[in-house]
Amino acid sequence: MENRYEIRYGAVGGQGIITAGALLVDIAVKRENKFALESPTYTATVRGGPTKVDIIISDQRIIFPQACAIDFFVCTYQKPFDLYKERLKDDAIVITDSNLVKDLGDTKNWKLYRIPIINETKKQLGNIILTSVVTLSITQKLTNIIGYDNMVCYIKKWAPEGLVDLNLKAIKLGRDLIN
Amino acid sequence: MRRKQVLQGNIIVAKAALAAKCNFFAGYPITPSSEIAQFMSRELPRMGYDFIQMEDEIASLGACIGASLSGRKVLTATSGPGFSLMQEHIGMAVMAEIPLVIVNVMRGGPSTGLPTKPSQADIMQVRWGTHGDHPIIALYPAFADEIYSETIRAYNLSEKFWNPVVLLLDEVIAKAHEDIELPRKNDIHIYKEKIHRIKDLNIYDREIGENPPRVDFFKGYPIHIDGLEHDKHGWPTSDPETVNKMQTLRMQKIYHYLDEIVKFKEYYMEDAEIMIFSFGVSARSSLAAIKMAREQGIKVGLFQALTIWPFPKIPLKERFKRIKKVLTVELNMGQTKYEIERVSSDDVEKKALLRANGIPFTPKEVLDKIREF
Repeated sequence: MENRYEIRYGAVGGQGIITAGALLVDIAVKRENKFALESPTYTATVRGGPTKVDIIISDQRIIFPQACAIDFFVCTYQKPFDLYKERLKDDAIVITDSNLVKDLGDTKNWKLYRIPIINETKKQLGNIILTSVVTLSITQKLTNIIGYDNMVCYIKKWAPEGLVDLNLKAIKLGRDLIN
Repeated sequence: MRRKQVLQGNIIVAKAALAAKCNFFAGYPITPSSEIAQFMSRELPRMGYDFIQMEDEIASLGACIGASLSGRKVLTATSGPGFSLMQEHIGMAVMAEIPLVIVNVMRGGPSTGLPTKPSQADIMQVRWGTHGDHPIIALYPAFADEIYSETIRAYNLSEKFWNPVVLLLDEVIAKAHEDIELPRKNDIHIYKEKIHRIKDLNIYDREIGENPPRVDFFKGYPIHIDGLEHDKHGWPTSDPETVNKMQTLRMQKIYHYLDEIVKFKEYYMEDAEIMIFSFGVSARSSLAAIKMAREQGIKVGLFQALTIWPFPKIPLKERFKRIKKVLTVELNMGQTKYEIERVSSDDVEKKALLRANGIPFTPKEVLDKIREF
């Protein structure tokens, strides 16, 4: 099989993870010249229900377009955690919100990080929607699937005028939360 | 080097349609095809062309037929339930020989079914959904670049053969956002037929195997277009000899050009002892499985149909002279499996991997099935 890395973000609609997935794929393709694909949830659940986005990044053309052995999982709410923890590798890296995902069940050989993503985003950045960039930054730091400099350059261009600094703060928060 | 983009499958269809000079869209949005209508509703008016959201899919195809007759290159996009409603007008377009491109992003059925789940459910509906003996062309891309090229090809074939062409797409691929390098404008071939100035109104007059002439509709010629069987003038007839001739003309304009219409891809077939026959997302599951199987020393290859109708009967028969094991992989309860049975002899061992519960096969599942041989 091709050299592929599978990432899944799970949350409730409005937390910004679908944006996080789109950003990650765009950076991987446009800045790193990788092959990438993302499949976001698109039903009514994106408005407040459990949502997920699956991202596949590879050095070669992606053959099978769905995640089937997930390497990296970020989840910020209990219900999507219960729904979407299937297909995780036994040794996956798993990041959960420590306040909103209480029951993890069998944690297998996961490399587990329990961090207060949502609370800290709200407290330090003032808007929960920045969870998108915080999640992206966490992913970058833990996987190095995209380069740090490429991420920062991309976010500087992508962020709306006047909000660049806030987005850079979100990148910093993501990194700090892992320490 | 061309710059890579990340585009959703549905948007690739819409962009390719515009590149093929599509200038009319009539449709009724339906999951999982809605982004095509959404994109066209923004782009076509911006370019000075027309987008109409109709009251339903019956009216949508009616509007497309009218627009096509007036020389527009048309598009409509739907899913299984909407495609069912379009069947009567598909028959009309076949009978009256009107170019149409219809995209069907399939979902689980029957009826309202599984709106957000993939299913390769409409393969037989595409072939036999409208009544009566009729020719149909259906194309079935699997990868992002194929979505683009097959959409362009759908236009070229519909224009060349004056027939509806259906582009089938799987939900998984239509909804995924994938990297793609779009071709340069100059690298895209768009079929363009010269317009014939007709003198004697024999618009359906031609020899067997010839394409109908492209005529200048609504430019001062009284032309009769009818869903009734008609003669060379387009006037209704039930004269058996004429009916026979017209039926043959319509069928043969497609079947004389199979080499041009039937397209497929092959992977790892040179030394294959087992052949997988598949298409769309199932071909992608199969190809990933084949790579795993090859690592285990299993000689298996893939025949990926890009044209599903007319069925790639001749190339398959050729393969079956050498390969005596075939596995059909499709996300339905067994539709092309029967076609494979028709084109392969008894000495070919046949297996099928079938499912219609909305979950695509993982490569591992296909591999397990390969190992059953």
